[in-house]
Amino acid sequence: MTPARRRMLEFLLDNLVWLMLIAVLVIFSLTVPRYFQFGIFANILEQSTYVGVMAIGLAIVIISGNLDLSVESTAALAAMITGLLFASSGIGMGLTLGPSFIAIPLSMLIAMAVGVVIGFINGFFVIKVGMSAFIVTLASFIWVRGLVVAISGGRSAQSLDPAIRVLGVERLFGVPLLAWFAVLCFVIFSLIMAKTPFGRYITLVGGNEVATYRAGIPANKILWMSFVIAGALAGLAGWLLAIRTSGATANLGTGMLFNAFAAVVIGGVSLKGGIGKLPGVYAGVLLIYSIHTAINLMRLPAHWTQVILGLLVLAAVLLDTLKLRLREKLL
Amino acid sequence: MTEPLLKLTDITRHFGAIQALRGIDMEVRPGEVVALLGDNGAGKSTLVKIISGGLKPSSGTVFFDGQERHFGSPSEAKAAGIETVYQDLSLCVNADVVANFFMGREITKKFFGIPVLQEKEMEAITAKAIKEAGTKIPSLRTNVEHLSGGQRQAIELNRFVHFGGKLVLLDEPFAALGVEQTAKGLEMIRKVAERGVGVIVITHIMAQAFQVADRIVVIRQGKVAGDIETEKTTPEQAVELITGGTLSIAGAGRGHASTDPVQQGKGS
Repeated sequence: MTPARRRMLEFLLDNLVWLMLIAVLVIFSLTVPRYFQFGIFANILEQSTYVGVMAIGLAIVIISGNLDLSVESTAALAAMITGLLFASSGIGMGLTLGPSFIAIPLSMLIAMAVGVVIGFINGFFVIKVGMSAFIVTLASFIWVRGLVVAISGGRSAQSLDPAIRVLGVERLFGVPLLAWFAVLCFVIFSLIMAKTPFGRYITLVGGNEVATYRAGIPANKILWMSFVIAGALAGLAGWLLAIRTSGATANLGTGMLFNAFAAVVIGGVSLKGGIGKLPGVYAGVLLIYSIHTAINLMRLPAHWTQVILGLLVLAAVLLDTLKLRLREKLL
Repeated sequence: MTEPLLKLTDITRHFGAIQALRGIDMEVRPGEVVALLGDNGAGKSTLVKIISGGLKPSSGTVFFDGQERHFGSPSEAKAAGIETVYQDLSLCVNADVVANFFMGREITKKFFGIPVLQEKEMEAITAKAIKEAGTKIPSLRTNVEHLSGGQRQAIELNRFVHFGGKLVLLDEPFAALGVEQTAKGLEMIRKVAERGVGVIVITHIMAQAFQVADRIVVIRQGKVAGDIETEKTTPEQAVELITGGTLSIAGAGRGHASTDPVQQGKGS
């Protein structure tokens, strides 16, 4: 085989999930009535934002060889705190921070700081204390959600400060401003993962932690940082959710964890660590919501999404094994 | 005679009740190749870990480059100029050859304060180093998991040849190499030593030790049982030191360059 052909094949194998996404979009556009229109695609993009942002952090933790089950609850807590502070009815305290250009970044930083704290705590127990990431983040998944219910008393906050809410209303190129956050985050973090030493180390630590330690890479700092990033991005996802729903409820975001996990796996990230690229994860998220939207349009009961999602995850893992075998044959 | 690059005095190390090292004294001068021999469990690997910063000695002092040093981690030892090639390979098989070659010392360029990996530059340097060593690797962008054991070990060996430092520790470096590659590897060790780098090679294979080393240090039961210049000894004598004389009769009947008694002890 010529090198050029091999490179081409490698490229296709690496980006299989994008091909799947295109194929699915084409098939739905041809078969599902009213699917092929700009509004639908804009809607898919917007729906993908919240799980998308969350999935970036989750993917980074998984690539580094750990696991973070707490992202969903962290997002809920960040959303609830945003709602509590900046919503004016329900349990909201109705704080206003003046014009949008102050209110938006400040509220965003608060939400992300909430995530950073949770991520830092997770990292502490996993790296300093040496506990299993599964257990630590499962505990966080439970206690952080508990905290959301506790501080809200089970009630909700509504009517978010319009200065912040503007992000959910205004559009850029016909797509809600909110949706661009996911695109931006994917671009930034894809570049970080591919082009900076930090991103390189995440992959290397996920592949062989002992080797990186011997090579003088501060493996523990890298692992801890991955939890903090996952927390911060979960916080950002929560903030976006709060804007989208103009407030927060105690059960906001329930079930997002599984969508995020599915997207990460469909996107080609191996749960064993060390393998996966962020653009693939975004394609995974878009794929999930493309199918979701098609099911809605066909007026099938929403539960079918879940069945299809489950099958899709299975198919993704199977495909991964197949890819590995194909690659072995090629090389 | 030049100042020793590495000087160990009375190094001991125990793991609970087990005394792995009972007072090791040894020296390595710049440009010198020292072969560290010893039976399984003699304490070689423990000694290597102490020099490379992976373990702390229970007592004793390590002088490196004219200063007393206590390395708390491999990265500290590495920063001081001690490079280690471990028995179990230190490669990330999920990354490509270039990423592994430059692991921990990536070339970066800052853009707006953000370090960015310089892939082209790193690839060119890796290609040159690998080519000079005569190793054939189809593509430097293939992940290491697709490479053979010999190719993997070659990456690690080339890494130390390229980056060098002041002292290189090689723990059973040729375990996965074929005959030709081993010969190349030994040649590489000599080349590195000629640049003034001190080298410690740990091996089970007597022939390799005699081929490459200036001096042979034998460790038995956690102590230095012999420290001899290679020219002034024979493989038989070395075997005797390693085993404490118990195998001397078995070794005597064999040919001069026989390595059989030692080969039997291969693998740890």
